[in-house]
Amino acid sequence: MYQSESVIRNHYNNINDWLDQMTSKVILEKNAEAETHFRNIGITFSTNNETARERIIPFDLIPRIFTYTEWLRLERGVIQRAKALNAFLADIYNQGEIIKANIIPKEIIYKKKSFEPSMFGFSPPRDIYSPIIGIDLVRTGPNDYFVLEDNCRTPSGVSYMLENREIMMRMFPDLFHNNRVTPIDDYPTRLLQTLMSLAPIKCENPEPVCVLLTPGPLNSAYYEHSFLSDQMGIEMVESTDLFVEGKYLYMKTVDGPKRVDVVYRRIDDDFLDPLCFNPQSVIGIPGIMDVYRTGGVNICSAPGAGIADDKAIYIYVPEMIKFYLGEQPILDNVETWNCEKEQELKYVLDNINELVVKEVDGSGGYGMLIGPKSSKSSIDEFKTKLSTNPKGYIAQPLLDLSFSPTLIKNQVEGRRVDLRPFCLIGEQAQLSSGGLTRVAMNEGSFVVNSSQGGGVKDTWVLAE
Amino acid sequence: MLSRTAEYLYWISRYMERAETTARLLDVGYRMSLFPNPSGYNNEWESVLSAAGAIEGYKNKYDTIEQKNVEDYLFFDESNPSSVYNCILNARNNALVVRTSFTPESWLAINKTYQEILNLKEKKFTKSDLPDLTEWTIEQVNLFRGSLSSLLRNDGYNFLFLGLFIERADNSARLLDVKYFVLLPKPQYVGGNIDNMQWSILLRSLSSFRAFRWAYDGNITATKIADFLVLNNNCPRSLSFCIQNIVKHLTNLTCSPEKVGRIYNNLKDLNTKIQEEKIETIVEYGLHQFVTQFIRKISSVDNEIHKEFFN
Repeated sequence: MYQSESVIRNHYNNINDWLDQMTSKVILEKNAEAETHFRNIGITFSTNNETARERIIPFDLIPRIFTYTEWLRLERGVIQRAKALNAFLADIYNQGEIIKANIIPKEIIYKKKSFEPSMFGFSPPRDIYSPIIGIDLVRTGPNDYFVLEDNCRTPSGVSYMLENREIMMRMFPDLFHNNRVTPIDDYPTRLLQTLMSLAPIKCENPEPVCVLLTPGPLNSAYYEHSFLSDQMGIEMVESTDLFVEGKYLYMKTVDGPKRVDVVYRRIDDDFLDPLCFNPQSVIGIPGIMDVYRTGGVNICSAPGAGIADDKAIYIYVPEMIKFYLGEQPILDNVETWNCEKEQELKYVLDNINELVVKEVDGSGGYGMLIGPKSSKSSIDEFKTKLSTNPKGYIAQPLLDLSFSPTLIKNQVEGRRVDLRPFCLIGEQAQLSSGGLTRVAMNEGSFVVNSSQGGGVKDTWVLAE
Repeated sequence: MLSRTAEYLYWISRYMERAETTARLLDVGYRMSLFPNPSGYNNEWESVLSAAGAIEGYKNKYDTIEQKNVEDYLFFDESNPSSVYNCILNARNNALVVRTSFTPESWLAINKTYQEILNLKEKKFTKSDLPDLTEWTIEQVNLFRGSLSSLLRNDGYNFLFLGLFIERADNSARLLDVKYFVLLPKPQYVGGNIDNMQWSILLRSLSSFRAFRWAYDGNITATKIADFLVLNNNCPRSLSFCIQNIVKHLTNLTCSPEKVGRIYNNLKDLNTKIQEEKIETIVEYGLHQFVTQFIRKISSVDNEIHKEFFN
């Protein structure tokens, strides 16, 4: 929000005035109102401990604002990246041109667990493997946006994006009268259109039947599953609701079996089909992969799409953009050292005090080391880990993430934020006009993950 | 509609209805405990427990029948599957899964109720708080039912109401069964003190105390009460009203006419009988036998609904 110590960026002026008018009593009330609202609509985490109350993510009242021109660049950059990631998937599961061109070494692709051999030689509808991509962005300077991570499997958080806006409009209608905030509530419609545009070849239905496949109420994103299926007007199914007969997939309904054309799955590859993946899995639909490969159903995202957001593949995304699209990357990667390479590992070990070291397969802010903030003993511990299993890690500089004004005990204080906008790719490619802003609520913290004390904010894109 | 969705909707209304019945029973017990009663109030709490179908579970847990324990067992106890708390918890867990199949208001009504009962459970209650608790429960259930009025009149709606009336038919019949002896023919008016309480238990637990006065003129007789609770189609908790509505929501289902037909065939005779029968005949034949048969029939219809639609 601040350009320098005392200068407020233009587009935050309105918000600043609004904040000035709010008394701490109002802030307290509104905070309580937001919390009650989130509890009532059930946007909570379920915990495995049944007696514990479900948790809600802290919500910060001060929105984060993007100008139209700022967003335009992000939009182009994210869509470009999402297209390249899909082109990459189509390539490595078919000809493998990028490997032949010596841009990405084949070992780091074909030996990865997230690479799915059974997808080899199969092309999903429109060659789209990952129709919903969440790209995590950070800002380190006025116009310096970097991509921190790609999420090509089943990125979550979009329900927060939508509900955060709902609660803000409900609590502060005047804010929306006085600011031209681009609406985001058409996201579910666009998501459904995207899914329908990815109907399998054998689908005869002009309006393909889509379902959302959830692992069930114990999943931490369950609220989002039910929210999205509700907003799209499609069935939310569990794997026991589905079965394969002949060359098609059906769901069990009170009318008898009903054919399903597109499965928006929110479960991992491993649990899709016990016949194909994990034979121990009790969830999953036996035979669905056969139906998929013979064009009877589409599975979004495609099994094996996860290889594209692997942290070791991430390093090559700028190269992919050049290779597949013939364009210069609009958004840069964060500088990343691949510990698998001897020289880079040496650099990481020598400079570990300055760096952030992440597990290649880690997520949720766990299993990482923030060098400048860590004790000597945990640094030593990571040094040992790095030396014994170098290919399990990457390292990045500690980014000076941008601050966003955040209400902490009724005072406005700066807290670090990141951003996850959601990109849809089907018949057309489009970006949500907003995203999920996550904020590190603890002073000085760099970790925005909700599992570690992160909160969320409404994210505004101002109309032109 | 997914079979699982239909099943969950059906059970949501069953649980909500059951929560109300349990709360009403507690209210009845509470009232009785304020009246002087020659037989001692313990007996009343015992009949409340047996009407709630919770006597066995209660006796496993407590040695003596005491108001505080009965309240706790019927309202908050997690080990009692029919406690108000468990009914709301189960309804809410089901609603979480099928919230896409009814309105946001219905979800809110159930989820708010759940959030509030978690708060209530943490507080300590005294005996005199019971009326507040029962009132609260009835209010919450009414909020939920009210929210259903804006629902699409599709199969989901009909499954919700099938659940409601199956549960209500069962609850009403069980209450009648526990208290049927009150309604046995007696030469004189039902007017003595003890009788007075007995039939007011019945009427109050069926939320029909005042309604009865409006529905029947003149003296209160056991036959009139029996007629009201068994055969009167204006009484929303009578057995005949429940059956009528089960038939209505069953035949309104648009899915699988042949399944509907099979269940309807099983129900047809009971429906005809209850619409045409005179209360005198039923009482003569044996109210207890009639009610027992009724309960058995409802349970077999419930089984069939599960078999045909939810499997």
